[in-house]
Amino acid sequence: MIYCLFAIVALISIYTGRHYGFTLNRLFGFQRHPYIDIDTAEWPDVTVLVAAHNEEKVITNILAALMAVNYPQEKMLVVPVNDRSTDRTREIIDKFSDEHPGRIRAFHRESGKGGKAAALKDAMQMVETEVILIFDADYIPGRGLIKQLVAPFFDPEVGGVMGRVVPLNVGTNLLTRLLDLERSGGYQVDQQARMNLRLVPQHGGTVAGVRRSALLEIGGWNDNSLTEDTDLTFRLLLAGWKTVYQNRSECYEEVPETWPVRIKQIMRWAKGHNQALVAYGFHLLFGKHRATPRERIDGVLLLGVYAMAPLTLIGWFLALALFYAGTAPLHGVIALLAFTAYAATGNFAAFFEIAAAARLDYTRQRICLLPFLVLGFGVSIFSVSRAVISQLMAPLTGAQFHWDKTERFRTTP
Amino acid sequence: MSPPLATLVLVALAGALFMLPLLPAIVELRLKRDAQPLNVIQQHAGEIRHFANGFRKVAVELQIPLRECIATGTSAAGKLPDGDEYLVLGRADNEPWMRGGKPLAICRVVVAAGIDVVLPDEMTFVKEIYAAGQLTGGKGSTYRAILGDQDVHLQRASKVTRWAHAVGAFRAEHDCDLYGRASSDQEIDLQSGCIFQRLNAPRISFGHPTAAVDRVKSVASDAIGDLPSSPAPIARTLHDENVDIPPGAVIPGSIVTRGKLRIGAGARVLGSAKSDKAMTVDAGAYVEGSLISSGTMHIGRNCRVGGPVVAEHGMVVDSGTQCGAIRTPTTVSAPTIEIEEGALVFGTLWARDEGRVVPKA
Repeated sequence: MIYCLFAIVALISIYTGRHYGFTLNRLFGFQRHPYIDIDTAEWPDVTVLVAAHNEEKVITNILAALMAVNYPQEKMLVVPVNDRSTDRTREIIDKFSDEHPGRIRAFHRESGKGGKAAALKDAMQMVETEVILIFDADYIPGRGLIKQLVAPFFDPEVGGVMGRVVPLNVGTNLLTRLLDLERSGGYQVDQQARMNLRLVPQHGGTVAGVRRSALLEIGGWNDNSLTEDTDLTFRLLLAGWKTVYQNRSECYEEVPETWPVRIKQIMRWAKGHNQALVAYGFHLLFGKHRATPRERIDGVLLLGVYAMAPLTLIGWFLALALFYAGTAPLHGVIALLAFTAYAATGNFAAFFEIAAAARLDYTRQRICLLPFLVLGFGVSIFSVSRAVISQLMAPLTGAQFHWDKTERFRTTP
Repeated sequence: MSPPLATLVLVALAGALFMLPLLPAIVELRLKRDAQPLNVIQQHAGEIRHFANGFRKVAVELQIPLRECIATGTSAAGKLPDGDEYLVLGRADNEPWMRGGKPLAICRVVVAAGIDVVLPDEMTFVKEIYAAGQLTGGKGSTYRAILGDQDVHLQRASKVTRWAHAVGAFRAEHDCDLYGRASSDQEIDLQSGCIFQRLNAPRISFGHPTAAVDRVKSVASDAIGDLPSSPAPIARTLHDENVDIPPGAVIPGSIVTRGKLRIGAGARVLGSAKSDKAMTVDAGAYVEGSLISSGTMHIGRNCRVGGPVVAEHGMVVDSGTQCGAIRTPTTVSAPTIEIEEGALVFGTLWARDEGRVVPKA
């Protein structure tokens, strides 16, 4: 039992060190933004896929925003992928399509497998361009975003591109404010540090792009994956394609406004991530492929993020059990010192990362909400653990994975 | 104190202590002092002419006094709606720059010239300058910002601290410092010793003192033509080690190496080239797509590149090299750029830290 606890503590310590490493890199390291200065070029043709499943509340905003971008009109085709919507999504898309002939070509999907990856897979029949950009329907791209996301594809090593996601409905309630802080830490620090250190920036599946030839080389969209973005990241990596992160390519999104929706969202992410861990983890670490040694290690750590939640819970349980069993690990004093050291630094690692992100964003007051993140952390650790347990039990219970769309809250189109 | 009361006080004190760090959080949650989304949608989207376009509104406001001054051949002073003072020039002489028979050292007002204007030497202009006609700066002068509706010509050792835009050609003599942005709708030419950061024009040349508007059209014939610089789906080879492309070789697709890359003299890459370490392009090489290096980059003499050229740790471009073409402009970008007289860039040249024009060796 005690060795299990040691192993868990060691894993947690690795992740703690990783948080600190990333944060210090963002604060003091060399920052890589190699493609952001490409503002003049012979821009390639691009197809923008907008994944939409019952998106009547938000689809107008993104289509209007895409019609206003500064990308050459004749080189950009917007394809709203209407995936079996039962609300007014189809009507709104068709109206936009009529108003902007030649610039929007609707893809209405009326049957087939559920999930975003399956819809994107079917929509590939509409894609003739080498560069493909993907947005979820609740996003609102800025005027220069398309050029920024296309620019990295001039690099022949780049297979995928990811921009920064910024919550729009920040001030709605405590949850949206906590998610704003989490997103800030995740993108401003975590993703950019991985870009700086040439590790594995993650494709997010929205505010993102993929090279068509790279996608075809790795076998297209995986419609069995709950998180097609994570799946794509690792298949590109294994095939020698880089996914790059563009921190200054920012785009607004709508974050969940209720806890049940948030819990559903994070459980889907956890399941999808763990699917990828099982599918690619061992091969990534030990297999013969094109990833560099540092990408192998970081990739496995990235894949293991959601597996850490149940392991942490098990660690807590083991620590309590050992305490009541009268076991004093490492002769008591050392354990006490280690505990004190960890309490002083380790617990704070993720919060340090988020605080650093808030500082880098020049936001001052929202950092006061940092202590409330314990609440978000608690909800996440139990939700993710629940997801992992249900995943482990699935072979016994016969439960099928299904894709839960995140509910929208916007009221003014 | 009774034991129950003591317990209650202890619990209350412990609770208060626990709540203490949450106080600022609760205050922020209630007051929402910082609950707006981050301001990320930039309508100007990094447009190099953003400030010039903004200042043009001021120039439009000054059109009436400008016309009056040109008609009467006089100068006039006044105040803009934002309180800034201005000086409008309707004739070309040195009087506005003299006080008590001595030349002024500093001009603290916005200057708008309706005619061709020659500015004095060794003078500092702390506000923007607008010139409807040709503008010729004085030697060793310093400018905050310049908007010229025709050609702008800066004399030796001038400085621009914020931005400069010329609708006509923009020329800077030796040893000028162009901090911030410099752009032209026609052509930029910088002499050796000039320092720059961000340049944009259909044609950017170095050390071509006779640059003229018509030159832009004629360049099309000696440019590399409309090369397919877009990321076309052409074959890619991936290498984990250093790669030397032999002189004169033809690479039919794109090449990516995790090590150093040397493109031999006269070699031709029909796609793009990328190296994770230093890249050297020998004289006369020809790359139809883009050149990307995660390290440093040295482009030798008389090379031609069709697509964007990016080096993450510094770049040297030798004489005779041409990036982009008049109909297919591109971007050349690195933190530091050393570019030799005789090189040509069509589009954007962007040195985040510092770019420098050096004499032809």
